[in-house]
Amino acid sequence: MQKVNAVQNNTGQSASVLQRIKRVPPVAYMLIVIIAAFSFMDPHYLSFSNFRNVLIQATPLMIVAFGQTCIVLTQGTDLSLGAQVSFVTVFTVFLAQRGIILEVAMLISIVCTMLIGALNGLIVAKGNIPPFIATYGMQNIVNSISLLLTAGSSIFYSSFTYRVVTETTILFIPLMVWVAAAVFIVVWIVLRKTKFGTNIYGLGGNREALVLAGISPVKCLIKTYAFAGMIAGIAGVITLCRVESGQPIVATGWEFQAVAATLLGGTSLREGKGGVTGTIFGVLLIRIIKNGLNVIGVQSIFQNAIIGSIVLAAIIIDAVVRIRSKE
Amino acid sequence: MGKTILTARHITKLFPGMKALDNVDFDLREGEVHILVGENGAGKSTLAKVILGAYKAEEGEVTFDNQIVKFNGTKEALAKGIVAVYQEFTLVPHISVAQNIFLNREYRTKLGLIDHKRMEKEARELMKSLNCEYIDVKSHVKNLSVAEQQMVEIAKALSFKPRIMVFDEPTATLSEREVDSLFAQIHRLKKEGIGIIYVSHRMQEFPLIGDRITILRDGVKINTVGIDECTNEELVNMMVGRDVSQVYVRTENKHSDIALRTENLCDHRGKVRNVNLEVRRGEIVGIAGLVGAGRTETAELLYGIQPIKSGEVYVNEKKVSPKSPKHATELGIGLVSEDRKRQGLALDESVALNTVAVSLKQIFPKFFISNKKITEIALDYKKQLRIATTSVNKACKYLSGGNQQKVVLAKWLSFNPDILIFDEPTRGIDVAAKMEIYGLMDKLASEGKAIIMISSELPEVIGMSDRIYIMHEGTIVDEVTRGSEEFNSESIGARMMLGSGGAENAES
Repeated sequence: MQKVNAVQNNTGQSASVLQRIKRVPPVAYMLIVIIAAFSFMDPHYLSFSNFRNVLIQATPLMIVAFGQTCIVLTQGTDLSLGAQVSFVTVFTVFLAQRGIILEVAMLISIVCTMLIGALNGLIVAKGNIPPFIATYGMQNIVNSISLLLTAGSSIFYSSFTYRVVTETTILFIPLMVWVAAAVFIVVWIVLRKTKFGTNIYGLGGNREALVLAGISPVKCLIKTYAFAGMIAGIAGVITLCRVESGQPIVATGWEFQAVAATLLGGTSLREGKGGVTGTIFGVLLIRIIKNGLNVIGVQSIFQNAIIGSIVLAAIIIDAVVRIRSKE
Repeated sequence: MGKTILTARHITKLFPGMKALDNVDFDLREGEVHILVGENGAGKSTLAKVILGAYKAEEGEVTFDNQIVKFNGTKEALAKGIVAVYQEFTLVPHISVAQNIFLNREYRTKLGLIDHKRMEKEARELMKSLNCEYIDVKSHVKNLSVAEQQMVEIAKALSFKPRIMVFDEPTATLSEREVDSLFAQIHRLKKEGIGIIYVSHRMQEFPLIGDRITILRDGVKINTVGIDECTNEELVNMMVGRDVSQVYVRTENKHSDIALRTENLCDHRGKVRNVNLEVRRGEIVGIAGLVGAGRTETAELLYGIQPIKSGEVYVNEKKVSPKSPKHATELGIGLVSEDRKRQGLALDESVALNTVAVSLKQIFPKFFISNKKITEIALDYKKQLRIATTSVNKACKYLSGGNQQKVVLAKWLSFNPDILIFDEPTRGIDVAAKMEIYGLMDKLASEGKAIIMISSELPEVIGMSDRIYIMHEGTIVDEVTRGSEEFNSESIGARMMLGSGGAENAES
C-alpha cells in the first residue's frame, strides 16, 4: 500500500500508464471485486437506482471521514466527530424552535463544532494528551449536551429547506451528494495545495521538522481539529436534512466507521501518509458491503461481523505488506 | 583562505548546574572547513547552537561580517545566512522533496495556493547544483535513501543562500560511499566561499575535509590548530586531557579451546553465504567488511535473530542451532547489537532494570524479584564500568551514548556468557568511553571469553583483534592474523573493497 498516497501527490506528467495503475489504492480493487461478487449473487444488484441509494446513504459518513482523514494524518483520531454530528442536528433544531432562522441556526451549529474541534486540538496539543483519550472525553461531553437539550428524545422543527437539500437533483444526483463532493475538493486542495495541508503531513511525519522551520505544531493541531470539526458540522447539517429532526444519537459510532474507512483508504496511523482520495473508496467499501448484504438478504446481526472481518482483513493485509516491504 | 566571516569571543553559556561553555573563542573564514571536536559534553554542539542562534550565551559576543550580532532564535541567524544541516533528519516523509526544501517558505500562486511548479523548478536547480539531478524533486522523501535524504537536507540549507553552514555529525548514519559523496559536496561548497563548521568526532575524516580544528574539552577551548599541524595522537590527548598513546590495549593471553565454530553457514536472504569461522576462548576475532558485507547478518544468525538456512554452528564443539535470542543466550552467546537505542536497551526503563534484563532469571530463579537486589547489582556495575549517571533508577534515554553502551555491557556482564559478539561497539561514543570499552573487551578476553568484534572502523578492528576475517558480499574472503604481514589497514581495506585474496571460502 506504499504507493497509495502517490495518487494525489504527483501530478506526474512523466508517469506511465502502468505507474498510474499501480498508484490506485488497493481498496479500489477490493471494491470492484465486491461489486462483482454481489452482482453475481443477485442480478438486480447492479442498478443505477441502487447505487444512487448507496451514494445518498453514504454521504454524511463520507463527509465525516474526510475530516477524520486529516486527523489521522496527524497520527490522531477524533472520537468526538460522531457526537458532533448528532449535536448539530439537535442544536440547530433547538435554536430554530426558539425563533432563529433555520439556515442561521445551521451556521451557528457549524461554528460550534469548529470550536469543539479547536478545544480538542488545544487539549491534545497543549496537554500532550493522546488524541484517543482527549476526544473520547469530548465525545461524552458533547453527547451529554445533546441529550440534555432534547431530554433524551428527538426534537422537531419543520422546514422546506430539508427537502431542498435532499431532493434537488443536479444531473440526477441530489444536492447533498454535491455538497460532499465540494467538501472533498476543498479537503483535497487544502492537503495538497496549501501550507496548512503541508503542515498536516508534517504533524504526522516529523514534528521536529515543523518546529525547525518555524511552524508551531500546537497551532497546526488546533487548526486541524477545528477543520475536522467544521466538516463534521457540515455532515451534521446534511444529516439533519435527511432525518428532519434533532436526534441526539443519530451519528453514534460514525467516528469509528470514519477511522476504518480512512485506514481502508490507505492513510496510515503512523507517519502522516495517505490522503483523502482513498477515503472515498474506504467509505464506499463499507457502505457497499452493507447495502449488498441487505440486497442478498443477510441478517443484520451477521452484517456487522462481516464488515468487521473485512476491516480487520484489510488492516492486516496492510500491515503484512508494510512488514514485507521493510525487509 | 578567505577573510574572516564570523568571530565568537569569550562565549560563556550556562546550563543549570554546569558551565557548558567557558570563555570560548572561535572564528570562521570564507571557504574553510573548521572542525569542532571534543568528547560528548565538551560543548561543541552547544557552541554551534550559540552561533546558530538556538542558544543565547550569557557572556561574550558574536560578530558576523565585522558587526556584532545578537540572534533571537534561529530564524534571525537564518536571515543572515547561517544555516544548520542537522544530524537527525528534519524532513517530512510524505510530502515531496520540493515541499520539504521550501517548508514554511512555500511559493504561492495568486490564489494563495502552493505553487508546486515553481518550487519544483527551483528545487531541481538546487539539486543540479549539487550534482544530484537523479533525485526526483516530486517524489516523497520517504522513498529516498538515507544519503539522498541528506542531499535534500543540504539542498534545503542551500536554498537559504547560506554564508555559513553547520554540519553536526553528518556522517553518523552514512555508508562509506555516501560519506564520499557528502565530502565531495562539502568541497564544492568550500569553493563557493561558504564557511563550514563541522562538528564531529570521527578523526579519520578530518584530513579529508578539514582546514582547521578547534578542540574543546569540558566547555573550555583547548586549542585551534591547522589540519597538518598535529597528529591524531596529539588531538586525542588534547580532547581527553591525558596521554592516550595506548588507545588499544591488548594483553597477551593464551587462546585455548574453540568456543564457537561455524561450517558453511548460510541465511535465507543470501546475505550470508558459506561462512566458516571460529573463535577460541581468550581470543578477540574481528570481522571487517563494508556496510552490507554480511557481518551483522552473520551475527544475527549466531544469535538466533534470523533463521539459518544451511550450515552448522558448534558451541564448545557441540552442534547447536540457535533458534531465537533466548535460545542463543541459553547456549552462552551474547550480542552487543549495532543499534543500542533500539535493540540494546529499553530506553525508557532504568539503568538498573536494563542491567539485569538478561540475567533476571539467573538472579531470581523463583517467582518474585527483589528491587533492592537489582539496585545493588546495578550499583556494582555502575562502579565497575564507571557509568556516569546520578542514579541507577534513571531512564537510560537520559544517558550519553557512551554511558548507554556501558549499560548494554553491564547487561551482558551480569549474564556472563562465554561468547560475546560486539557489533559496532563504539559507534557514536566519545574517545574516553571507547577506550574504556576496549579495556573491558581485553579484560573479558583474558578471563577466557571468546569475543567476536564487528566494526566499520578499521583502526579499532586492527587494534583489538587477534585475528581478522574479511567479509565481502556475504562470504569470508580472507583471514589475517596479528603479526602477519597483511595485518594492516591498507591490505585489509583493499580486500574489503575488492573481495580478492584468499579464495578458499569464496567458491560459492
